[in-house]
Amino acid sequence: MSRSSKRTATYWTIPSICVAAGLAYLVSAWVGGRPGLGVVLLSAMLVFAGIVLLAARRSETVRHLLDRRDERITAIDLKASAAAGGVLAVAVVAGAVVELGRGNSGEPFTWLAALGGIAYAAAVIAGRVRG
Amino acid sequence: MELELTGNDVRELRMRRGLSQADLAAAVGVSRQTVNSIETGRYTPSLPLAIALARFFETTVEEMFHVKEQ
Repeated sequence: MSRSSKRTATYWTIPSICVAAGLAYLVSAWVGGRPGLGVVLLSAMLVFAGIVLLAARRSETVRHLLDRRDERITAIDLKASAAAGGVLAVAVVAGAVVELGRGNSGEPFTWLAALGGIAYAAAVIAGRVRG
Repeated sequence: MELELTGNDVRELRMRRGLSQADLAAAVGVSRQTVNSIETGRYTPSLPLAIALARFFETTVEEMFHVKEQ
């Protein structure tokens, strides 16, 4: 894959994930007996993907968040992802605490917390191995 | 030995060549915002980008970026 086609592929990653998630919502909702909800969720994801692509035409920041060609914006994306991950981790732990306090097993929060912890440890190890 | 960046000559070198931030950004493959952030000292470029800038202006990284020992 050439450098320019790799960049083009990178550019389409987030919109593609939005469309794939929307289709997954549609299928899942359909199987669950709520096709209307599935259509609404798919539409929402398609609209979001469209907004992102339109914003990329006007905003240098959004464009480089998609194509990852700019090191500073990629670093900003990394920090933003870490911040969002931190917020999610706190929410998951809080959810587990609340569920345990209610006399439940803490699921699915305990599983999510374990998955997050394992993913973090794996990422640290992978980063260390790579140098 | 700890070094602290105190400033750089990127804006001066760019102006001397009559280039806009967008021109320089296109030449080294980054966004205009990043060039602006480097010039104002809000962003420290990676070593490859610093070298690319130095080569573009036919100078060295040490001459372009000023440091002081802490």
